[in-house]
Formats: sequence, structure tokens, C-alpha cells
Amino acid sequence: MTAIRRGSVLAALAVLAVVMLVPFAIVAMNAVKTPADYSSGGPLALPESIHFDALRAFWDRVDFGQKLWNSALISASVAFFAVVLSVLNAYALGIGRVKGRLWIMVLFLVANTLPQEQLVYPLYYLAKETGLYDTRLSMIIIFTAIQSAFGTYLLSSVFGTFPRELLEAAQLDGAGRWRTLWRVVVPMSMPTLTVLMVFFFIWTWNEFFLPLIFLISNENQTVPVALGVTAGDKYMDATMQSAASLLGILPAIVFFLIFQRTLTRGITVGAIK
Amino acid sequence: MGRKTRLAAVLTAGALALSLAACGGSDPAESGAKELRLWHYESPDGAMGQAWAEAIKRFEESHPGVKVKFEEKSFEQIQQSGSMALNSAEAPDILEYNKGNATAGLLVQQGLLTDLTEEAGERGWDELLGPSLQTTAKYDDRGVMGGDRWYGVPNYAEYVMVYYNKDLFEKHGVEVPTTMDEFTRVLDAFAAEKVTPIATAGAEYPAQQIMYQLALSKADRAWVDRFELYKGAADFKDAAWTYGATTFADWVKKGYIAKESAGIKAEDMGTSFMKGDYPIVVSGSWWYGRFQTEIKDFEWGSFLWPGNDLHAGSSGNLWVVPENSDAKDLAYDFIDITMSKDIQNILGNAGGVPVASDPAAIEDPKSKELIENYNKLANGDGLAFYPDWPAPGYYDVMVSGTQKLINGSFTPEQFLESLAGPYREHVEDNGLGE
Repeated sequence: MTAIRRGSVLAALAVLAVVMLVPFAIVAMNAVKTPADYSSGGPLALPESIHFDALRAFWDRVDFGQKLWNSALISASVAFFAVVLSVLNAYALGIGRVKGRLWIMVLFLVANTLPQEQLVYPLYYLAKETGLYDTRLSMIIIFTAIQSAFGTYLLSSVFGTFPRELLEAAQLDGAGRWRTLWRVVVPMSMPTLTVLMVFFFIWTWNEFFLPLIFLISNENQTVPVALGVTAGDKYMDATMQSAASLLGILPAIVFFLIFQRTLTRGITVGAIK
Repeated sequence: MGRKTRLAAVLTAGALALSLAACGGSDPAESGAKELRLWHYESPDGAMGQAWAEAIKRFEESHPGVKVKFEEKSFEQIQQSGSMALNSAEAPDILEYNKGNATAGLLVQQGLLTDLTEEAGERGWDELLGPSLQTTAKYDDRGVMGGDRWYGVPNYAEYVMVYYNKDLFEKHGVEVPTTMDEFTRVLDAFAAEKVTPIATAGAEYPAQQIMYQLALSKADRAWVDRFELYKGAADFKDAAWTYGATTFADWVKKGYIAKESAGIKAEDMGTSFMKGDYPIVVSGSWWYGRFQTEIKDFEWGSFLWPGNDLHAGSSGNLWVVPENSDAKDLAYDFIDITMSKDIQNILGNAGGVPVASDPAAIEDPKSKELIENYNKLANGDGLAFYPDWPAPGYYDVMVSGTQKLINGSFTPEQFLESLAGPYREHVEDNGLGE
């Protein structure tokens, strides 16, 4: 009986995995075709022969190494600073229980729902006035603020259930607020914080709209913006677009493989407590 | 590399500040700039990409000591952030920009582009470009094209034509048509043998352009000016519109156009023709280069829409010079080089439609056919622009209307009404009517 159940679960998972992997397979398949091969066979046919020209051409055309570095720099900085900022905010809101914290939380939640299109013009003028337009720093600041809005909201609820006894024990031992935060609260919430950091990294990595507007120089551009050069006004270069997408998702996959233990640990963190 | 370019940026910014402080309105004739910052969004192996790469080389040769700093942009980035970039100190000295009211026209209205009228007269660009090409290069204060001041210079043109599969034409025993009647007979011959003759795409621009071509067959220049340039009131119930919509619906009914094409995208239309699935595709010259390199399994050719004096088409995108450019004189020189016979011929030989080439210098037979057809059309001043141009967001109106016309949920009358509403609203809201 259990064998049957296990078998059916396995089969369902296998089907799901295939469904998830098919788009990637199609992208990979078209990335190694020649344009003529693509046009005569269509997107679903198997490639006649394997060509890495599109991959190489795209890498050179947009100077992909530079874009990788830009994306990594921006995403990593945002991930780190946004988590620090979220922790500080959430410490005040969740553990410090400042007055009117409910309304502050609601405010953060509302800020989260603002579409980026609405923020573009104000941010553009601010960036221009401060001389930060077309710099990577502008993106780091903006996304640190955006991501930490969510982080604050989430961490405040997590800290709200932080065991009071631990805080009191720290207080009895003579720890001040600052010391309590760094020696007790942060180490205890480390799993949550690392998950948050991973999410911030991936979310920022995938951001397209604001970097498109703010990073107009090619030397400052991020990976998703660079992928746009393959789509023209009236046509697209399908093989190069596939090559570009493949190069675009590879870093995210590598990142996931490195941090997947952290991710799964984060999901079960509530269960340990 | 990062540090060097940042230094250069600081230097140019400094130079800009100095020049502003020095005279508060620098004379473009002698900017003394040592760098031309240039943006465009053409792929490097396309016709424009090849021609412009050569133009950059020529420019550097004829301007010793000046470097061209070229950056390839994406179409989408220029669309989304163009006006913001041009309004900043990061603006380039010259860039490719989309022609039309909603794009270049908007920048003119915002005062972000340099008036090129004087240069166009002095350097003779106005003589190289025919009237319907000039329409998209010139704007008025409201940013409406067809105005009196030059704000851009196109290097190439584009037009909608009929591409056909020679092998399939031969197999079904039909000839290239020269009149509308003959064209209908050709379509009929295919339909009679259960072959859908025309590949098209209702989810994007192609289907609406067929409808527009049909309307144009009963239209004249004044009709185009009314519809596209608001010179007089456009009447969506007139003979031309009615003919276009009813004939299009009729073609779907008779099986010249498949009902399924309502949901097809342009890219899929193109690949289905390249695979040899359809004998005919009606679309723009932007496919030409790609068909040339990628169709290997059959012979193909092209002809102008039979019987029409007017054809959907226009100038290509424009070279524009931002008001914030600090090397305007260099930008003018660069435009001049791109208009020279040599560069125009490169553009023509690479599958583009040059506006000022020497027909004798075009060697490739396929390219010759493309340019000869264009010259026929240009001599009659036959570019009639595109149906989605008159109002912002009109593209979506056109797409959804045409889709409903294809799948039969709109009658031709309902279709035309759906076009008239948003059009009238735009004209009235902006005081564009006369």
C-alpha cells in the first residue's frame, strides 16, 4: 500500500519536474541552433548540429563579463544592506514594540504594493539632483530601500514571537539593547536572515524595469537589461535570445545550487522552534 | 576600463560645465569636442549595423584626434528611458530614435532635440529625401510629424510588400499578379486547392497592414494626410475604409487568410513562410535581409502590392541630436557621412533600403530587386505610413479590432466604428483637428 502511494507520488513529481524542465530544454535547444536551422525547422525541432556561435556572439556583443560583475555587485550589496536595515527596523518594531507599530507595519506593507512604474519619475529626479543618475550606487540605494520594506514587515512578525525569556535573561546578564540584538537576537534568527538574504539577492538580480531606466551606460548595465538587445523593434533574433536567456539564468542556477541547503533550512526553521 | 571611462565622463562633464560657464550657449560650429558619444540599437550584422560601423570608421579617419564612443542599446531601453536619459548630463551626442508622433515627436515637444533645419538645407539632406520621407523627419511645436522644422534624418526607408514562394507559385501554376484582379485570382487559385495563400499574424502588426493596404488601394494622398497628419477630418465610413474592412473580412471568409491567424505573432508568421508552409506573406522590408540569409530550401521573390499607388511604409528610424549634446558639430558631420553614397551603398548591399544610394552600385540581385521596387514607389511618393500611428495606444486598438474582424466577432462596420472612437477622442483631446 505504502509502496503504491510512494510510487504515485514519485510519478507525480516526475511529471512535475518534466513540466518545469521543458521550457529550459527548449531554450537550451534553440541556443545551439543556427538562425537558418531555427527558421527552417521552427522552435520545437531538434537542432541539426550544435553551434555555440550564438552564445559566444552574445557574450562578446554585450561584454557579458562586465554585466555579470555589475549584477553581482548590486545584488550582493542590496542583499547585505537590506537585511541589516530590516533587522534594525524589525528589532524596534517587533521586539522594541514602539508605539503605533501596527500602523508603521501597515505603511511598509502599502509601500510594498506600490508599482515601480509609479516610483520612476520621483526617483529619477532625486537621482539626477544628487548626481547619482546612471550609477550602480543609485540602484543599490533604491533596492535596499525597496527590499528592506518587505524585510521589515516579515522580520517584525518573526521577532514579535521571539521568546521573551531569552531577552529577559540577556537583560539580567547586563546586556544592553545593542548587545542583545547582536549577541542574542541575530544569532538566533540566523536561518531566517540567510534565507532573506538569498531571496533579496535573487529578486534584485532579476529586476529589470528600474535598472533599464537608471543604468543607461552600457558599462553600468545589469544582466537582465543586457538580455534586451536581442529583441528589436519588428523582429527578434530567436537563437541569440535563447543563448542570452541561457547565459542569464545560469548564474541564478549556480547561486541556487550553492545556497540550496540554506534555502531548505529556512523553510523548516519554524518547525525547529 | 571602468576607471578610464569614469575619468572620461568626469572630464566631459567638467568640460560641459566649463563651456556653459564660459559662454552660456556654446556655438555648435566649434565645440572642440574630442569625443562623439553615439547610441543606436541595430544588430551589428544587420544592414544598418554594417553601414554605420563603416560610417564610424570613416568619421574617425576624417576627424583625426576625435574618438567615437559607440554604445549598442536595446530598442526597449531607448523606448522606455529615452527622454529621461536625454534630459540628463549623460545624454549622448547623437542617437538613433524611433520616428513618429509618440516617440521623436514627444521629444520635440519636450524641447530635448536640436533643430536641424539649417543643417539640412546647408548640407543638402533636404534634396536627398523625398516628401514622404521628410514627413517623419520634420515636426511642428506640438510634436506632430509633417511639420516645418527638421529634427531628425533617416538613412533608410521601409515599405510593405508581397513576398512570394516561387516554387509554390510554379507548382500551382500561377504568375506574379500586376493588378488587384489578378492578385485575387492568384489567391483564389490557391484557395481552390485547399492551400491558405497568405500567412499573416493578427496578434501583431501584419494583419492590420493588409487591411490598410486594401484601404489604400482606394485612397489618395489627401486621404493619408487626413488620417495620419490630421489635415482635415478623417472619415472612417468613406469608400476607402469600407473597402478595406469589407474586403479583408471577405478574404478571411474565402480562405485567403486563415481564421487561426488571429492569434499568431509576427515572428511565427515569418518562420512559417521561411519553412515553405505558405506561398505568400505580406509584410515589411525589415524581413528582407533575414529571408535572404535564412531561406535555403526554395526560391522566393517580392513584388509591390498590385495596383496600389500608396503603400504602407515610411522612413526608417532617425538620427537625432539631443539638445544636451556638447559635440553638435561632430554629430552633423557624422550624419553627413551616413548620407554619403558609399555608406548608402553598403546599406543597400546588406539588405536595407537606402534613401540615397547609387542603384548601379548595388551588386546583389536580390537587393537590387528590393531597391528597384522601392525606387518605383518613392518616385510616385507612395509611402503612406502605418495604420497604428495616429494616436498613442492606437496599435492595441488596431490589433484587437483586426483580431475580431478575423474571427468574425466584428462586422466590417463594427470594426471601423471601433477604430473611429479612440481616433476622434485623441484628435479632440489634443486639439489636432483643423
